[in-house]
Amino acid sequence: MSGQAQGRQCLCERLGPAFSDKEKRKGGIINTIVKLAKTCILRLTVCKLYFILSDKVANGGASMWCELSQGNFFDEFQMEGVAAEHNEIYLEFVPENLWRALKTAQSAKAVKIKLTNKHCPCLRVAVELPSLSSCSRIVTHDIPVGVIPRRMWNDFREPSMPDFDVSIYLPVLKTMKSVVERMKNLSNFIVIEANLSGEMNLKIETDLVSVTTHFKDLGNPPWASEDGCQSSGQGRDLESMAEACIDIKKLQQLLAGQQVNPTKALCNIVHKRIVHFILLHEEVSLQYFIPAIA
Amino acid sequence: MKCVIGGAQLRVFGRAIHAIARISDEFWFDPLEKGLALRSVNSSRSAYACVFFSSMFFQHYCWTAGTQPCQKEKQLSLPCKLIIKSVLPVFRCVNVLERNVEKCSICSSPSEQHITFQLLCRHGVVKTYNLTFQECDPLQAVFAKHMCPNILKVHSRLLADVMIHFPSSQEEITLSVTPMKVSFKSYTEEDTDFSRTMLTEIQLSPEEFDYFQVGVDSEVTFCLKELRGLLAFSEATSVPVCVHFDRSGRPIAFSIEDLLLEASFILATLCEAESEAASPEPACCPRPRDSSRPGMDKSDQSSTDGASNAVTATSKKPQQKGNTPSMDPAKPPSALAKQEVKNIPRGSERDEPGRAAAGEATEAPQAQVRELPTVPALEPHSCCWAEHPTCTGGFRGIRVTAAQLENPSTAGNTPVGQGGFTGKDLGVAKASQIINAQILYHRILTCTNIAFSSSTPCSSELSLPRTRPLVTPSRAW
Repeated sequence: MSGQAQGRQCLCERLGPAFSDKEKRKGGIINTIVKLAKTCILRLTVCKLYFILSDKVANGGASMWCELSQGNFFDEFQMEGVAAEHNEIYLEFVPENLWRALKTAQSAKAVKIKLTNKHCPCLRVAVELPSLSSCSRIVTHDIPVGVIPRRMWNDFREPSMPDFDVSIYLPVLKTMKSVVERMKNLSNFIVIEANLSGEMNLKIETDLVSVTTHFKDLGNPPWASEDGCQSSGQGRDLESMAEACIDIKKLQQLLAGQQVNPTKALCNIVHKRIVHFILLHEEVSLQYFIPAIA
Repeated sequence: MKCVIGGAQLRVFGRAIHAIARISDEFWFDPLEKGLALRSVNSSRSAYACVFFSSMFFQHYCWTAGTQPCQKEKQLSLPCKLIIKSVLPVFRCVNVLERNVEKCSICSSPSEQHITFQLLCRHGVVKTYNLTFQECDPLQAVFAKHMCPNILKVHSRLLADVMIHFPSSQEEITLSVTPMKVSFKSYTEEDTDFSRTMLTEIQLSPEEFDYFQVGVDSEVTFCLKELRGLLAFSEATSVPVCVHFDRSGRPIAFSIEDLLLEASFILATLCEAESEAASPEPACCPRPRDSSRPGMDKSDQSSTDGASNAVTATSKKPQQKGNTPSMDPAKPPSALAKQEVKNIPRGSERDEPGRAAAGEATEAPQAQVRELPTVPALEPHSCCWAEHPTCTGGFRGIRVTAAQLENPSTAGNTPVGQGGFTGKDLGVAKASQIINAQILYHRILTCTNIAFSSSTPCSSELSLPRTRPLVTPSRAW
């Protein structure tokens, strides 16, 4: 498979000691992804890394696109794609393995990640840990990965921003998380609705009980209208709510993985179609799409 | 027997129970003159644990309770087997235990059918647990630590830091040492699907160890799960851990020694396939995934004359139930005859561990788990040569015929001087011998300030009449 050839290209990323806090942040991203899916695609380009979850049935139709720029995380970054004009590598891996490997690297002196091909292509994460003696401890994790052949790269393109009805900033994620967690015990589906006046409601309804949590004064992000085709511009009643009923578990998983408050967190709702969450940290942007349940 | 554990030591005791729980479902509770020993061995005889608390560990330790001089030695301080599940709830949240419980008293008496654990908590709350037990023979592994060429001594913190890198589902790891470096890596079999398995390796330098001696470059693979219990326990005691091992196939021993307690975990290691042909005990080097591990499956042989290795008639031990750890009742008498052991007068070897080693096996001694006759004065050093005083006085064996088994009450108490069941006796004894005592335990919890006296009716219902003979065909005669 041509993917194997790609696997042998060299890839070397090194996180230096002076940037140990960056490892923590990288660990933070992995922490988010671990909660979302069992397998994930890692796309490597010369300047950026992308973590992609495509909207397969296994994910319940949800998809994710997470982008980070390698310069913010790595001291050294070398990669060679399969060919000059396609200078990218696509790898499929199990996020839990990578999470486990990086979990213990919090206090590491250095972390090196290499793509190698021993029994099968794998990411070799070598962590140098400080120790009491003069020699440091070296922990090596071999994480098996699957290399995606070029013909399948089209499956993993960046999703386009949907034509949303309402765009609103999210409330403090911690509050939202605890609300959604309590609601999860009562129902499998949650309705998110919001309007352009900065109000958002989270609703669940069962035979026995219905619970609604109201948030207000959240603010609506000002999207620059391009060619006037953004529907969040004029013409929409400020009070009317756009809503979507989604799987509560997906929402809870997304919120559970957030340990650090993002710089910006907002969501776009397409009425009864899809909810699009955007979480922006300093160096990372994460987009998560949850389709509405009919 | 009665002992009292103070609040501070309770945590250590509780951790010991939890550590032993990792090995097997039941453990031997063995009060000795010098202290209390808790032992356990797993069903495939590939892991053995022993924690010995000296009498100084306890606030109060009293070994002899009865005043029956003629039968004192035989009746008192019999080891008994308890089910771990019954005891674990007593020491469940060890950290909480420390805060709430002032002391814990453990007592047993031969006339009663149970062992009583009593937790005296704050505010006058008393929790009493009456646990029934099975009587059994003592259990002891014999392993000559001092014969091991490789010895490492390391603080438990380091081992815990190393093990944290492995997933909790990792079953086996390989320790490989050379004089220049030490590495722990996850063990995979040949047919592992590498595209799904994550492999981890940790390299350490010898300087990190408190004591580092490598006589023989070796790679030993052992079960990590069983070891985790010891690691947690050693952190509670903060005593360094000593690792004694040899080439692959030989057992590896992790031990902790303190003034107050000694603990050791002896684990079997995988032996390399190449050594199978050369081994005098082909049954002992099975394919890696086999349940019976080499080096440890000697439970029904205790002969010591070097023929020990060849005597292991069967390598696979059926699941251990009751008091018959390994004796397959269907075994032909001839096999048993082979295993007949002269009453080894091992008492004389007490002072000469070295010589004992020589007489024990043709090769360097391996860990052996054996059922011994009752020996009231068993030395607690489970990892040194155990001395076994001559069995004449200590043997509680009772020769039982089929008729007697039908009617336990008539079995009487006719002690037999020497051991020596023939195969026939054992064959007959098999079914009824498996003492399926129903172990019930009853938790009496007071929620108010009413203290319970220990004479509260115990709810244990051991269905064994006291006069049932204590024949255990597991004795390797």
